[in-house]
Amino acid sequence: MPQSIVTDDLDAVLHELPTLSVEQTAPRRLKVCIKAETLPALLELLKGSSGYLHLSAISCVDWPDTEEFELVYHLWSYEVKQLVSAHIWIPKQPGRFVSVYDIHAPAAFFERDIHEMFGVHFEGSPNLEPFILTEWYGPPPMLKSFNSRAYVEETFQWQQYSPEWLKELEAKGGGIVE
Amino acid sequence: MSQTVIPIHQPSADHNPDTDIACRTVEPQEKNLLRRVIDRVADHCRARSLFILHYCTGCGAIELPPTITSRFDSERLGIQPMVTPRQADILLITGYLSVKTLKRVILTYEQMQGPKYVIGMGSCSINGGMYWHSYATVKRLQEYMPVDMYIAGCMPRPEAIQQGFLQLMAKIDRGEGTAWKDYYHNYNTYLGHQQALFGPDWHTPTDVIAEARHYDLLSDNTLGEHTDLLAKFASEYVTHPIPSAKAIPRSTS
Ligand code: SF4
Repeated sequence: MPQSIVTDDLDAVLHELPTLSVEQTAPRRLKVCIKAETLPALLELLKGSSGYLHLSAISCVDWPDTEEFELVYHLWSYEVKQLVSAHIWIPKQPGRFVSVYDIHAPAAFFERDIHEMFGVHFEGSPNLEPFILTEWYGPPPMLKSFNSRAYVEETFQWQQYSPEWLKELEAKGGGIVE
Repeated sequence: MSQTVIPIHQPSADHNPDTDIACRTVEPQEKNLLRRVIDRVADHCRARSLFILHYCTGCGAIELPPTITSRFDSERLGIQPMVTPRQADILLITGYLSVKTLKRVILTYEQMQGPKYVIGMGSCSINGGMYWHSYATVKRLQEYMPVDMYIAGCMPRPEAIQQGFLQLMAKIDRGEGTAWKDYYHNYNTYLGHQQALFGPDWHTPTDVIAEARHYDLLSDNTLGEHTDLLAKFASEYVTHPIPSAKAIPRSTS
């Protein structure tokens, strides 16, 4: 086990909140699991006291068994050069959570992205318009319940293929190189 | 029964057969022959000076720099990259097309001037390649625009691309590089496929129907139920009145 990376500042922050678990996953990474409603407070405290200024990503995981979304907020500190990943779980229905745009401005993009890929609604997010999928009319495509293959089967047609074509190519001196 | 011979040109005061080049009416088939000879010469020349617009959508684009620059030097075939669609002859689509980029490709394609050629390069443009079960990528490019040639491979080596270029040149030289006309002949079908992906209000700023009329390429399938939707959603871009599929006189060909 490497030496603990929980600095005094961080320790103080984590003691202020009802933390579910803290685990060091790599020499510079800390996994913190907390209750969803305490997340904005955690971000504020981390930003204020420990220099975790950079929200580098928000990721989302769809857990079909427990009917939950796991949201992971990745925070980087340039002072102590460590990454804290804050994990929270929200129920899939109604799939709503608060925006952290007021704490970290880059959250706007991440939330917009998660909204379009998973359908999570972030209250207070400045813009939840389609971002990448502007030509998309289906359900949020990153959901486990979305069957990409079935969608493709009914939306697109397959190219015809004839094995004769390869023979024609080989007759011309082409073909597949092993 | 007496036969009257009608002289082709009547000598008259204001008509001098020695200087007047329009002294003889040109027969239609003769005109066609002349046009065909000119076309053949033009095709022959055209095949030797092609400009490609490389639409680098996918990873296959990485094989283009060696193809174009000194190593394989496609310029010795007379093929050079070009920066704008309006000056390009070949639209080279180098890999997977997401639905979103397809939209841009269609806009680009319609800006190119005829005769134009489309090469789909890499497995992805043929059947989706390794993205075959992705909801976001298009599977068959030829549904959305006429494709002259596909170059298979993931990704094709510069040799294969050169080979493809040579085959396309030979095809143009033979006068067979006419796939672009199909876009006008079957605009209704192509537009229908596009609308299936982008929704019924999809349209481009290009007035393809007017172009088809200009090139004299209107056919049975240029107009139809899908182009009728243009009248509804794209009226500001289409020449008025938009001919309805029912109202247009059918060409006999
Ligand atoms: S065919 Fe292969 S190299 Fe080309 S875009 Fe697809 S995955 Fe990339």
